[in-house]
Amino acid sequence: MTTPLSHDLTRLEALAAIARAFPTEPLVVALGTMVREMLLVTGRQPNHLYVLDAMGLVPAIALGVALSPNARTHERVVGIEGDGGLLMGFSTLATIGSMRPENLILIVLDNGQYAATGGQRTAASSLDLTAIARGCNFSTTDIRTAAGLSVAMSEAKVRPGPWLLRVMISPQNQPAPYFLPDPVELALDFKRYLGGA
Amino acid sequence: MPPLTSALGVDSRAVVAARCDAVNQAIEHLAPTHVLWIPSSTLKSVIDMIETRAREGAWVSAPLTREEEGIGIAGGLVLGGARPLLVVQDNGIGNALTALTTFAQPYHVPMLLIVSQRGGLNEYNSMIHTLCERVDDILDAADLRTFVLDERVPIDRWATSIVGAWEHAEMTHRPVILLVNLLY
Repeated sequence: MTTPLSHDLTRLEALAAIARAFPTEPLVVALGTMVREMLLVTGRQPNHLYVLDAMGLVPAIALGVALSPNARTHERVVGIEGDGGLLMGFSTLATIGSMRPENLILIVLDNGQYAATGGQRTAASSLDLTAIARGCNFSTTDIRTAAGLSVAMSEAKVRPGPWLLRVMISPQNQPAPYFLPDPVELALDFKRYLGGA
Repeated sequence: MPPLTSALGVDSRAVVAARCDAVNQAIEHLAPTHVLWIPSSTLKSVIDMIETRAREGAWVSAPLTREEEGIGIAGGLVLGGARPLLVVQDNGIGNALTALTTFAQPYHVPMLLIVSQRGGLNEYNSMIHTLCERVDDILDAADLRTFVLDERVPIDRWATSIVGAWEHAEMTHRPVILLVNLLY
């Protein structure tokens, strides 16, 4: 059982660290506060796929990108998911575990809440998510600090995955405007970045 | 239980085998890079072929845990330049609706789903009619392009129709659902 003791990191700080660590790698970003705060940190980036509404689908989309031929020009493919989203698409951990893509890093920002809908609790605080992921053939790390996140991402860049990095963050949300583009643009930008359009 | 039509001298197994052969022929022709599937009793011989050909290196074959997961994986594959194919059954199509309508459809990610159609005439499972007889209406209400292959389509047009459905997905930049009825 994992019980959060303290939260040294905010979502914004974690996203900034992830964007710095993976400036050119394909990055699939989960909906809601995750997308909006990433935009505060980096602005719109061609290597970022913004998933605007399909909750729980980031691990599956990131898996597809990681398995695709155009991912070969990149060292890693990164999916950023919340704990609520991970639980919603939980069985994809099994599919990733059976396919074992070495280039896939799943970073779970765990605040124990559904942030976009008013902070209702998720089941994550009652679960050992990294133990479950290890059972699905992931390499894993539990992270509580900025330094720990930096070390874990460095390791995940050089040691084969799939990786699941569980990052405990505070429940604090940063005010950020809605992001309401035509999703077709988002897909085309990302596809072009990967070299497929 | 053998279908009641067998008492009328109908060789239903031969008809079903011919339809499955047509599906197999079309998949070979399409040469997908990845085939993602949910097990189906009516598509068993198709999935057996998919697994056999994967072992021979024709494509990557993977079982899915849920239909919506398949939409996500296939979407990521398409964005990265792959040619995935999904093979699922219609009584799980409800699981895929949100992923189809919030990801594949609005992001214009083309993909073909070959969906075994159940319910209606010749269905042997009484529990399956309620959803499956309405799947084409549900998909239509969700504005998802759907084609149907059943006994109204001559068997010599099945393989070409499946290839045509793939081409329709690519040219319209949308997901396309192909309901294939293997009941007879």
